[in-house]
Amino acid sequence: MNAIEIRDLRKSFGSKQAVRGLDMTVPEGAIYGFIGENGSGKSTTEKLLCGLMIPDGGTVRLFGRACTDAEARSKIGVLIEAPGCFPNLSLWNNMMIHAADLGIENAGREVARVLKTVRMEGAASNKFKNCSLGMKQRIGIAMALLGAPRLLVLDEPINGLDADGMRIMREVLTDITKSCKCTVLISSHILTELEKIATHYGIIRGGEMICEMTAEELDASCRAYTALKAADMNRTKLLLSSRYSRVEEAEDGYIRIYDLTTAEDIAGYLYENGVTIQEIGQSKINLEEYYIDLMNERRVQ
Amino acid sequence: MEQTRELTFKSPGFYERLKSMLGVDFYRLFHTPMFYIFLAIAAIIPAMVLSMTGMPNEQGETVKLYENTWNIIAADKPLYIINSMGDYANMNMVFIFGGIMVSIFIGHDYKSGYVKQLFTTHSLKADYMMSKSIAGAFSMMCMCITYLCGGLMAGVITGADMSVNIGSLLLAILGKMIMSLGWGSLYTLLNVVFRRYFGVSITLCFVIGTGIPVIGAAGLMGNNSGLNILLYGSSVNACLSSNIGTLLTCAAVSCCWALVYNIWGSYILSRCDVY
Repeated sequence: MNAIEIRDLRKSFGSKQAVRGLDMTVPEGAIYGFIGENGSGKSTTEKLLCGLMIPDGGTVRLFGRACTDAEARSKIGVLIEAPGCFPNLSLWNNMMIHAADLGIENAGREVARVLKTVRMEGAASNKFKNCSLGMKQRIGIAMALLGAPRLLVLDEPINGLDADGMRIMREVLTDITKSCKCTVLISSHILTELEKIATHYGIIRGGEMICEMTAEELDASCRAYTALKAADMNRTKLLLSSRYSRVEEAEDGYIRIYDLTTAEDIAGYLYENGVTIQEIGQSKINLEEYYIDLMNERRVQ
Repeated sequence: MEQTRELTFKSPGFYERLKSMLGVDFYRLFHTPMFYIFLAIAAIIPAMVLSMTGMPNEQGETVKLYENTWNIIAADKPLYIINSMGDYANMNMVFIFGGIMVSIFIGHDYKSGYVKQLFTTHSLKADYMMSKSIAGAFSMMCMCITYLCGGLMAGVITGADMSVNIGSLLLAILGKMIMSLGWGSLYTLLNVVFRRYFGVSITLCFVIGTGIPVIGAAGLMGNNSGLNILLYGSSVNACLSSNIGTLLTCAAVSCCWALVYNIWGSYILSRCDVY
């Protein structure tokens, strides 16, 4: 069964179409990286699937049920934008309030468990208004984890987290998908972090899903390249451009050759032309580069 | 080793949902200083009105707004809307304080993002309306009690006349307390309608609570019971000549107000996005 199935979802705000005919399928147990530019419709889609917004058209199904179904909604944990906490209450009391809203029995034990999971047990008595951005994000994640949900919807959960916070979040998300068969929908602009955990990806642009793929498919789609550094970069680039069709100078200062060839072939050619190579190796573009390439292609189209 | 959990859908019943939501609202109510501040205001205002209007002026004449202590609780007769300000400034003032308090209470829900968190759970919008109405009504009932205490203490201190038909007095107080449910529902509706404009909702609650619309309407159309009941929820009918009929009228109107405003508010919430 799919945890999320969205078909032809549409939502407008006045004359602006935020989501236009969006389709999305998230299999159960997946960590689904939801990627898109600012204003592309990620948060709106997440609010629509959590029942916070009413769609103009289309269907959203959670575990085979309509997203408006209170029973289906009781299976989800949500962090959208910021946790909904009362600033003058302590973290513990805010968590207890959310546990009561969820109807959790043994709320105290459950709150203690999730606070420990996000390493916030020592700060439970702090007032929410006195917490740093990172602490607030951790509390938001803890709130989403309350009651062991079957689907987590996290909107930019990594924002404001320190390195330790990011590591904890990676561990938590990986663990709950494995141990509890929980599904995670996570949107983030920090693609390098997302790449470490996501099993599926969906890329949205202008309110439309432009592609959905698994991590394996992404890996296969990511172009391999040979990167090198030489003593005379300008001459090297000229030489390589005369022989290979796709030669680029990357931001990291390396020359990249995207043609299907070997490092030995390139090294031999440059050696013959009297170029001294300092470094050479083969790699693949990462998610961030793939995403930027895709966006650039779309812009050209 | 990988574990799998069976996906079962449990439907929490109406009473379970309402109980948990009321638990949260009452917890918040008792943990917010604002509630106690309003209780204190509700006690201080009648004491001030009663004692200050009983003081001698520059000419040495004692200006009395009320001949009887219990007029600070309710007027002698119903249907006095445009007769005298003194008849007007009684326990009905609780509905002004209550309106402001409910506005701030619900305003916090939206400002903090709590409603976003709440409506992603199994909670229904109708539960929200009901819970806020009950919490608002409870706070106004508490204010009625502190108002009574404040008025009584001031009456004793100033030595004002205390003669009253105790039965009618109790019926009047009970009538106003029962009307709190209707007022709580009305204020919850106003705050739901203007949820994105806190300034508008709090001003409307204040203006409606003061009874200005009903005074204005009475000025145009004349003073009558139907107008009171329709626009002011029979709150002014609960007076020192109240009888059991007055109490039943208050109960019936309060229930009708609560029902209508709760259905209306739930409908609006269910048709609107939550921000």
